Amino acid sequence: MGLRNEADFLTVVGDRSSSIKAPLTNLSVLSKHSFLVRNLVRREVRGRYRNAALGYAWTVIEPTLLSVVYWFLFIMLAGNPDEYYAVWVLIGVIVWSCFGKSLMSSVTSLSSNTRTLHLVYFPRIIFPTTSAIANIVVTMMSSLVVIPIILAYGFPVTIHLVMIPVGIFLAGFLGLGLGIIFAPINCLQKDVEHLFRFIVRAGFFISPVMWTYEMALERGVFGEIVLWNPMVAPITMARHGLIGKWPEIPLHSIAYCLAFAIAVWITGSIVFHRFEREAVKHL
Amino acid sequence: MSNTVISIKNVVLNFPRRRGIVSMLLGFFKNTKRIYTALNGISLDINQGEIVGIIGTNGCGKSTLLRVISGIYPPDEGYCKVKGKISLLAGLGTGFSAHQTGRENAILYGSILGYSEKKIVGKLPEIVDFSELGEFIDEPIRTYSAGMKARLGLAVASAIQPDILLIDEVLGVGDPTFKKKSTDRIMEMVEEAGTVVIVSHSFGMLSKLCDRIVLIDKGEIVDVGPPSSVIDTYHERASNRKKG
Repeated sequence: MGLRNEADFLTVVGDRSSSIKAPLTNLSVLSKHSFLVRNLVRREVRGRYRNAALGYAWTVIEPTLLSVVYWFLFIMLAGNPDEYYAVWVLIGVIVWSCFGKSLMSSVTSLSSNTRTLHLVYFPRIIFPTTSAIANIVVTMMSSLVVIPIILAYGFPVTIHLVMIPVGIFLAGFLGLGLGIIFAPINCLQKDVEHLFRFIVRAGFFISPVMWTYEMALERGVFGEIVLWNPMVAPITMARHGLIGKWPEIPLHSIAYCLAFAIAVWITGSIVFHRFEREAVKHL
Repeated sequence: MSNTVISIKNVVLNFPRRRGIVSMLLGFFKNTKRIYTALNGISLDINQGEIVGIIGTNGCGKSTLLRVISGIYPPDEGYCKVKGKISLLAGLGTGFSAHQTGRENAILYGSILGYSEKKIVGKLPEIVDFSELGEFIDEPIRTYSAGMKARLGLAVASAIQPDILLIDEVLGVGDPTFKKKSTDRIMEMVEEAGTVVIVSHSFGMLSKLCDRIVLIDKGEIVDVGPPSSVIDTYHERASNRKKG
């Protein structure tokens, strides 16, 4: 028994698992650290609305006010939309903001946690994931706004309403996947963050937030083109769910959106795992 | 036969320097020449039960070495192997959430430091008691003074019982009374932990505590040995530097 065997009992510090396996590793990491994940999510959700007299009510007030503004803007520009237009915008704003906020918070997840990163080690995929989960939780709370809408417009209360949380989750998941691809680069150059802030703003207009899939269909070929936007499916799902029907968009476009979101997340996991360690040194 | 619990072999750690956009695109993530070598071929074996001090001038790589041991920075060359659970005691209270109460933050901080739920809940009364926060424990942490936050941080961090304890200049937080208590508590942890590595500038304490002291300069180990002789080397080098 020489020193060689002795050293075998020691384990190499740090995560040396292969990047290709990262998506699987991430899932096991999240279940292993579920207590930490829960606490970090709670910190983010609570921190956001503490010290405000209206507290969690802001989750509902914010999208409602935004919708009023967009509704007004649309009447000024296009005039006379359909009677539910304000509702469509509200749902669009809620689902889109889940995507936008998850994307931004994942992109900045490493650079905004510099202090913690330099003082404790735990798998870093936890940072973007918890911030995305926190955003999904907050958006789920804002989606409670559909209750007064259902009462006011007399929509049927059906099983189809589950499409609202499904759409929100899909949007948040998509944001997380895209975000973790770019989170390591954001440690090197903060330009990434500014670029993404622009992308979220611009994406707002090319996604069905202020318009709907049906409106695009009326413009002929646009109906086909917009389906390439992976955000069409989540938003339309939630809208159709609210009025009590399954999403009336081609099935393959839903499949496309799902596949897109999962592919992006797998890519993101691999990229994040591969570059996160080096990137942290740049902070 | 020696019982090594930390084995550091030829560890090199380079920090990148800020690069322009062009050179970044040319050599993305690759080490170009614009790097700063923080650790340059460090080799060190630490045995079970040893208390090792690390000294050196500011910026020589002491804290970086501790971060390599705790897994925060992956070495560019060489490796660092350890046996057992490691805990780095540095920057107490990292990740505190200003809007949550002291109790909630104790749980949050505990989970960040790697406690399981069962363990932290079990330790909670002890933590609350040690922090001496009284009824403030259920107030939001934004109402705390810096000293109170530090006390809570230490209370949580010191409840951990690692196999290997790494300490980076956290001795003596809070007001004088608590300072004494915190130093005592850390000494207690040092005794309880199997193996301890301390980075500090207080040579008096180090020479009392440590079995061995490592002197680092510019990312390289200059001297290793019994406290008194290494501290002498340090002073010698310091006075040489002043002269020359």
